[in-house]
Amino acid sequence: MRSLLNFLERYNNLIIFLILEGIAFYLLATRNYYHNTRVVNGIRWFTYGIEEKITNTKSYLNLREINENLAAENTALRNSINRLVRNDNSVFFSVSDTVYQQQYQYTTARLTSNSVNKQKNFFTINKGTMNGLTKDMAIIAGGGVAGVIVDCSENFSVAMSLLNLDFRLSARIKSNGYFGSLSWDGRDYRKAILSDIPQHVSVSIGDTIETTGFSAIFPEGVTVGTVIDYEKPGSDFYKITVLLETDFRKLHFVDVVANKRKKEFTELEKQIK
Amino acid sequence: MINSILRFGLIFILLVLLQVLMFNNIQFSGYVNPYVYIMFILLLPVEIPSWLLLLLSFGTGMIIDIFSTSPGMHSSASLMAGFVRPYVLRFISPRDGYEPGATPSMFVYGFRWFLLYTVIIVLVHHTTLFYLEVFRLTDFFRTLLRVILSTVFTSGFVLIIEFYRKGR
Repeated sequence: MRSLLNFLERYNNLIIFLILEGIAFYLLATRNYYHNTRVVNGIRWFTYGIEEKITNTKSYLNLREINENLAAENTALRNSINRLVRNDNSVFFSVSDTVYQQQYQYTTARLTSNSVNKQKNFFTINKGTMNGLTKDMAIIAGGGVAGVIVDCSENFSVAMSLLNLDFRLSARIKSNGYFGSLSWDGRDYRKAILSDIPQHVSVSIGDTIETTGFSAIFPEGVTVGTVIDYEKPGSDFYKITVLLETDFRKLHFVDVVANKRKKEFTELEKQIK
Repeated sequence: MINSILRFGLIFILLVLLQVLMFNNIQFSGYVNPYVYIMFILLLPVEIPSWLLLLLSFGTGMIIDIFSTSPGMHSSASLMAGFVRPYVLRFISPRDGYEPGATPSMFVYGFRWFLLYTVIIVLVHHTTLFYLEVFRLTDFFRTLLRVILSTVFTSGFVLIIEFYRKGR
């Protein structure tokens, strides 16, 4: 108490000064239109800054939910695009294409397990026969090839990843249309090998590699990756190294592609063989 | 005591009238705005209790604020001037100190002393006032120029008034 009084006595000037200056500033900030605006704007700028930080953090926490929504929306949009494209074709090529229906259907799934470090990698997704998935459906992730379903349970499916020594994909060079066989050599999870491209074809680094659609599993024109290196081994064919579009370490959401005409297609092929 | 209250009351009224009726209407090229009412704070007795000095400076500023519709601006600036006045007086005190009951005056302590005293306090007052008026740090140097020019003019007017006050 005594020291408090001493303190007050010693600094009474400063205290009076601060109180009066406080009153003056209060009047300045509240009774003058210009100063009031400046003060309010200053405070708003400050609180907006903090609120923005909070909102950013919150939205980061909600990313999983948002991602799911976006993936679902993407699927819906892809479905409608495909429908529209088919309709267009049917208008312009009504003779050659008499089927007025969508060929490919997309659905979203989330990965429940994944691996990239084995020689034969598989991943599991959270949809199965209950959702209409069957064996041999294609899996696409973010516009790039990811794998093919090899087995389904009721609620889960196991897919063979592109990063599997048994995986073969019919792929072509987008710029000139020459196609070959794409497989993984078991080394780098970002790179695959495209073979069976004849050496007279001109290949350049940066060329896009896409699927051909010959297999009736993958739709035509899905990006596989880009050429980053090519060499001419002894044979007549190139050995092209492809940087994969899909980063398998970051795989979370995938699109499963169902080909509605697959049965028709394969049966027809069987008849000829 | 009563005498000095009356005297300072008269000085106060005269200075406020001078400020409000004349100097508030001087807007020389937007850079020169003399605020001569600050002279009241300059003229108060040396040994005035500092709480009274603070209250009087605040009140003076408030009155000017009321006349120039700028609540808080002059109050805060002249309060600042009142706050630094004791320190300035101590800083520039004559060799043998101040006499009891003395008031700061050009004729007692000399022209140079009074000039220095006026310029320092007017500068403090004007700096606070002009920066509060613009209330932003863009155009910092433009405001600084206004502060310096107005300080020169205010100090000049204060010196003229002081000269005639004693000369009469």
